[in-house]
Amino acid sequence: MRMIRKALAALAMAGLIAAVLRLRGTGGTPPQEGGWRELSGPELS
Amino acid sequence: MKAAVIGAGAVGARLARQLVSTEQVDAVVLRDERASRLDAVTASLGAVSRSDRGGYADPVDAEVVVLAGPVGSHVQQARAFVGRNQHVVSTSDDLSEVRGLLDLDIEARERGVAVVVGAGFCPGLTCVLVAHAASRFDVVDEIHVAKAGTGGPACARQHHRALGHMAIDWREGGWIQRPPGSGRELCWFPDPIGAQDCYRAALPDARLLVPAFPGVRRVTSRVAATRRDRLTAGLPMLWPTHPEGGPGAVRIEVRGHRDRAHDVVVFGAIDRPAVAAGAVGAVAALWAVDRRLRRSGAGGLAELAEPGPFLGELARRGVRSAVFQGDAQPVA
Repeated sequence: MRMIRKALAALAMAGLIAAVLRLRGTGGTPPQEGGWRELSGPELS
Repeated sequence: MKAAVIGAGAVGARLARQLVSTEQVDAVVLRDERASRLDAVTASLGAVSRSDRGGYADPVDAEVVVLAGPVGSHVQQARAFVGRNQHVVSTSDDLSEVRGLLDLDIEARERGVAVVVGAGFCPGLTCVLVAHAASRFDVVDEIHVAKAGTGGPACARQHHRALGHMAIDWREGGWIQRPPGSGRELCWFPDPIGAQDCYRAALPDARLLVPAFPGVRRVTSRVAATRRDRLTAGLPMLWPTHPEGGPGAVRIEVRGHRDRAHDVVVFGAIDRPAVAAGAVGAVAALWAVDRRLRRSGAGGLAELAEPGPFLGELARRGVRSAVFQGDAQPVA
């Protein structure tokens, strides 16, 4: 019984740490609108 | 004008083709240890080119020598050619090699020759794009560079090596070592490459960009990688490389102040990395001989080249750049 409690506690701790790391991840913000436009003319002088 | 290209791989062959198609170039000498490859590339370039069986660092009759050979030999070759008062352009993207090439600055300045370091797709085109973006700011705070894709087999091997070695970031006036494969960031490249997960690796971009922008607070570089790339980064390459590589892309993001307001500029480009690297290296070589670079000595293209005209010449040669016009939010 004690072993099961230890295993469950370890799993809960691992899940908590994984959740914190995932939430703190800096994955960047995808652009919501806009797009790419080729540089041309006076922009290349 | 006479030029020499050391290395006839995917980048070297494209670079030599760019040079022979330039009116002011009278002769291009090619060197490569692989005799059959050398003969095939030379034959495809026409009468302006000729092959040379000499060693990589042996004397060669040329005003500028472009180093596009195997990584690890560029510093020794560059030192030899600078010692003979010849301009040098290196396409290397190896971090330790870039450091060694930059160390030739004093000797190159004394001799009045240029050593253009990292004249490829990334670094190279990215350095010019950063300089172009920076010209829109009063103060540059942060520079972030990312690339996706590889050129030929040598480039793919270097990409693999980079993911297995410590990365360097510039942060608040100092260098910080970071574990390779860390710092995942979703970077949006021009279509059709689109969104790619990018990671830290042993890339030389920050080393080349920091001297060009005194006072910059953060400079980072990342490379797109798959789970397989990251998992096997510490092992020898386990799969064959594509002889020409696929389409690739670069993306640079510059953050800074303009009229006391924060702003962000994002530039990018998509091309076959070897093709774009060849064009960048060729234009750098031509500018070195024409004395169009800002100064003699060793440095990256962000320091040495006037970005607008350089990008204009690349566009004329088919390497086009783009600006992202979206709603990327500046960091307060």
